[in-house]
Amino acid sequence: MEANIKQLIADVLREMGQTENPSLKTVPLSSTAEEPQADLTSENLRKQLLVPDPSNREAYLKFKGATASRIGIWRTGPRYLTKPSLRFRADHAIAQDAVFNDVPEEFVKEWGLLEVKTKCSDKDQFLTRPDLGRQLDDENAEALREYCSEQAKVQVYISDGLSSTAVEKNAKDTFLALAQGLEGYGIKVGKPFFLRYGRVPAMDVVSQILRPEVTVVLIGERPGLATAESMSCYMAYNASVGMPEANRTVISNIHRGGIPGVEAGAHIADVVKKMLDQKTSGLDLKK
Amino acid sequence: MKEQILSVGIDIGTTTSQLVFSQLTLENTASLISVPRIEIIAKEVVFRSAIHFTPLKSQQEIDENKIRQLIEQEYHSAGIRPEQVQTGAVIITGEAARKQNAETVLRALSGLAGEFVVATAGPTLEGIIAGKGAGACQESKHRGATVVNLDIGGGTTNIAVFRNGEVIDTACLDIGGRLIRFQNERGTISYIADKMRSLTRSMDLSVAENQTLSTGTIEAITMRMAGILEEVLGLVPVTPQLATMLTDHDLRRDYPIDYVSFSGGVADCIQGSSSGDYFRYGDIGIALGQAITRSKITQQFEILPSVETIRATVVGAGSHTTGISGSTISVSPGVLPMQNIPVLKLSPEDEALPLRLWGEAILRKVQWFNLQGEKQNLALAFKGPDSLGFSDVTELASEVIKGMQGILCKTCPLIVIIEKDLAKVMGQTLRSQLGFKKDVICIDTIKVENGDYIDIGRELVDGNVVPVIVKTLVFNS
Repeated sequence: MEANIKQLIADVLREMGQTENPSLKTVPLSSTAEEPQADLTSENLRKQLLVPDPSNREAYLKFKGATASRIGIWRTGPRYLTKPSLRFRADHAIAQDAVFNDVPEEFVKEWGLLEVKTKCSDKDQFLTRPDLGRQLDDENAEALREYCSEQAKVQVYISDGLSSTAVEKNAKDTFLALAQGLEGYGIKVGKPFFLRYGRVPAMDVVSQILRPEVTVVLIGERPGLATAESMSCYMAYNASVGMPEANRTVISNIHRGGIPGVEAGAHIADVVKKMLDQKTSGLDLKK
Repeated sequence: MKEQILSVGIDIGTTTSQLVFSQLTLENTASLISVPRIEIIAKEVVFRSAIHFTPLKSQQEIDENKIRQLIEQEYHSAGIRPEQVQTGAVIITGEAARKQNAETVLRALSGLAGEFVVATAGPTLEGIIAGKGAGACQESKHRGATVVNLDIGGGTTNIAVFRNGEVIDTACLDIGGRLIRFQNERGTISYIADKMRSLTRSMDLSVAENQTLSTGTIEAITMRMAGILEEVLGLVPVTPQLATMLTDHDLRRDYPIDYVSFSGGVADCIQGSSSGDYFRYGDIGIALGQAITRSKITQQFEILPSVETIRATVVGAGSHTTGISGSTISVSPGVLPMQNIPVLKLSPEDEALPLRLWGEAILRKVQWFNLQGEKQNLALAFKGPDSLGFSDVTELASEVIKGMQGILCKTCPLIVIIEKDLAKVMGQTLRSQLGFKKDVICIDTIKVENGDYIDIGRELVDGNVVPVIVKTLVFNS
């Protein structure tokens, strides 16, 4: 195949009235010599400047440091260079993995959480039927009632949402800092659990089952190309099915490139405290 | 959710004293669904005082009573009471800082000017403040360039070098417009500073008080002064006199300079000003300005116009000294404001240690500080490790407690300053580990260095941030 192509090109060149280009011999058409050295995504994009000879590298890197956008990636003609082009695809693959992979059972077990699930039977159904991701069947509701104490001041739970990676990377640190913060305020926290195949409004159902004052869910965000590890925290005071969306308070962008999990947890503790003091949440909550 | 705070800047200089009031606007710029991110979004000078001659009791002493009256008068004309002022700086600059009673003056004024107004002096900070007031810092950021600002006042020239908005070098020289003063328009000297005597001696001139200088001699002397500035900027080879004229350390001169800007009173005499009226101010200011105009500095560098000249320092003090902390912090109620806290910053080597060894490293460094008295505090600062888990935070907190025992046995609060966004959880963990019995101030997103002093003001914007003034006394990056 390779020989054929070489021959073809040589013929074309000859027809164009040129002598055979000697460099053709030395340039292999397909190269197996350059194996990727390391994980494509391990390089920090904010520090990777591909512009050749920038007039002020320092200032450019400062701009790059301020954004996750892919600036300073240069081009070849009107197209991306190979490196950014591959990186783009690799990041997309990571985002897809985060959505399609499950939070491993071991993760839940190691933490020692009870696992319950919504009415979705598997990931495919979870992704195609958002309505089922907001409901729990009787069996799971009963399991919750048995495991958790009802009417806790604050009930925290973890849910996969649209990024299993986000949960694996951030949920535990966030929860521990949050729990410590609430303990500091003398606020009792109910036993946390894990809800598989959960969408955000599942918290309304959970709230009706357990009737805590404040419900807090740590849930994976839909991944983007900047990060697949971002987690959100949704909170509501006296949540119930059918309550206005404006009653939810949310803190998003919890990941190592946004607000770190531990710092977010400490902040969430303060927000929960305010909800308990003001007996409200969402847009009605005063800062 | 905008909040405005009033900041004062007071500059007691060798020659002139001035005051400005600036309004700083703080706003949460984060979206509704994010953790707050409060920033200073606007700085506006709302009042500029007249430019007064600094009242002196003698060559060695500032008249603190007259200064006080002067400042009180300016507060009155601005219609502002000291208790309305939330932040700011009183800075005593140039030769004035070396007067015998500079400290007393500062104390008298900082009391008058509101509870969180810092009193400070020191050539390094002076140069930086003037450079920011002149706009050199901002220009270097906008242009992505290296800008050198020369703030040439009556007694000193303070130099600050900015690259991409960061200070990279400073120096201070005894070059100023009032180092030789005249008693009449014939050029009879009424005062000559010691450093000028030695500079003129090196030129084989003997210059003394009551002697009359010809225009030619004045020009020769000021050209030599401009020559010293050419030396410090690396335009001509360094002579031994440069070392004499420097007040502390020299510039490094190991970076290319893109632009130069001038501020201070003499800046107004550089370029444009007509010749002839040499004695308008009874000093060598005009001659020095003209000498600089003719020097290699203006020929070989592109000169940027300054947004402030004679007011650069006072505007810098009023508008550019106050910064704010990160927006997730942890501060025990009622302990702020705190002033003049020395900073102990862990070295990169210390920070590279495994967390379990941090306590010892901190302990060792705290001992250098020889902390005496119940009130003597210090702030522990570090950059902070990358991506900490909760167990790391717990370990780090217990190491901090181990290392800071010398502070914890006193009544003063524990102060921790972190560069990374970690202060809320760190403060919370420290408080929890200390059994909620100890006041803790833990703030982040602030860069400090060893040897800095820090002032932390009362909480703003619903307790989300604190104003911070970092006083850099030594600069060695």
